[in-house]
Amino acid sequence: MEEVESKPVKRRTKDLNLWEKIYIPEIIKGLALTFRNIFRPKFTMEYPEVKFEPPASYRGRPVLVQEESGVERCVACGLCSRVCPALAIEVQAAETELEKERFPEKFEINMIRCIFCGFCEEVCPEEAIVMSKDYELAFFNREDALYGKDKLLVPASELEDRIKFLRQYK
Amino acid sequence: MALKTEEMVLNMGPQHPSTHGVLRLELQLEGEIIKDVIPHIGYLHRCFEKHSEAMTYPQVIPYTDRMDYLASMYNEFGYALAMERLMGIEVPERVEYIRVIMGELQRIASHLVALGTYGADIGAFTPFLFCFRDRERILHLFEITCGARLLYNYIWIGGLSNDLHPDFIRLTKEFIKDFKPNLKELNDLLSFNAIFIERTADVGILPLETAINYGVTGPNLRASGMKWDLRKDDPYSVYNKFDYEIPVGSGEKGKIGDCWDRYFIRVREMEESLKIIEQAIEQIPDGDVKSAIPKRVKPPEGQIYTRVENPRGELGYFIISDGSLNPSRVKVRAPSFVTMQVFPELCKGFMVADVVAILGSIDIVLGEIDR
Repeated sequence: MEEVESKPVKRRTKDLNLWEKIYIPEIIKGLALTFRNIFRPKFTMEYPEVKFEPPASYRGRPVLVQEESGVERCVACGLCSRVCPALAIEVQAAETELEKERFPEKFEINMIRCIFCGFCEEVCPEEAIVMSKDYELAFFNREDALYGKDKLLVPASELEDRIKFLRQYK
Repeated sequence: MALKTEEMVLNMGPQHPSTHGVLRLELQLEGEIIKDVIPHIGYLHRCFEKHSEAMTYPQVIPYTDRMDYLASMYNEFGYALAMERLMGIEVPERVEYIRVIMGELQRIASHLVALGTYGADIGAFTPFLFCFRDRERILHLFEITCGARLLYNYIWIGGLSNDLHPDFIRLTKEFIKDFKPNLKELNDLLSFNAIFIERTADVGILPLETAINYGVTGPNLRASGMKWDLRKDDPYSVYNKFDYEIPVGSGEKGKIGDCWDRYFIRVREMEESLKIIEQAIEQIPDGDVKSAIPKRVKPPEGQIYTRVENPRGELGYFIISDGSLNPSRVKVRAPSFVTMQVFPELCKGFMVADVVAILGSIDIVLGEIDR
């Protein structure tokens, strides 16, 4: 290795005066501010006890909208699975007697892959897949992270906020 | 009798708390003096550039967020700007204003993290919490607007994903009003604290010539005394409509381009960003933010390099299009990556404890270095 000349250790060009050198006034100054803050309002939230309520624009876990009749709105067109950058959505279509003619026999979102970008919601022509306010997602194993229709279907009444937001802004 | 000495190699990281992510530094020491530093990067490599080639153009946007995760809004801004220039899209004025407001809020948020963690790195924990308190309010502004706190997917090619929240302007004004005294408090608590100055002044001096030779940009270059800011020198969007200054390092507490200068440049940049936001909010026109979004993003064959002034420096996108729906190549010129090169030069001759101070002062984000 080539030889590197060690620079002199003493570096400061502008020296502190005695008052600054003692450090104690500086520490007191800092502590005074700390103590002042004891009497200010708290800006933290005691999370597991107090839950954070996200605004309507929040992009949480994607869910399928369930109509009052108990059927999903989705017509299994497959646009969401095509637009998904992370390839997280799998849809298998089948025919049905209902007016919409097609329904998703299998609708699966891999929550490990999902990146919460909201493209699926944006592209959906039926307002059938929307981003919910659900942000608490934890699994104990990878199988649990595959959300099938049983976990994805949410009644439309619970998603009113988001659907209203979509109609106004998107 | 001369003491027998031996060179020692010390590994710092990749799990060290002050390496700001997963960075390994191989320190070659002579006693406590640094002879050389070899940074080992790549622990956070996620194949952004290669991955983009498999995506369509709009699908790349969520991934640009994940490069510099402290300045996601600006990454999208740069990418959208590059694509608009490649495709020749005229963006509505309202979109430009919202982008500038978002970009500057993001700059403040990013600098707050830089300053807060820098304080925490060298032993001042309180400013860290204060900085994060203020950043939280900016993140809330982003959250009500686009629905996410870090990875926004808000700025799209030709427009924005949705218009501003009705409360956004009011909340931003409130934030600016509250933030100004907080900034003064930060200065009293940290910037002009004698202990802090002792740790940072005259440490890790970056001479202007070295900075230019290595291609360092952004606050680190400006701290070395060069007035170079792409918002002024290569204006994009509507930045030329506002009145603001470019702060330059002065060597107030030590030599020009030392850690304290690099720190304080960011404090002053936040003040300038506030000025831009205040003006932009007053001037913001009405309009439809989605009108110019193309139905199908299929740029003509060609290539483009576009650069923007990210909170960390010049963020450049080099995009080659072969006329299909997927980019043929996306190359990112990441400011942190370039700044990392100069790091060994900064450390030579200083002590081990100073490495932490120097590393914090250049404000790197590993997500962007490794991409």
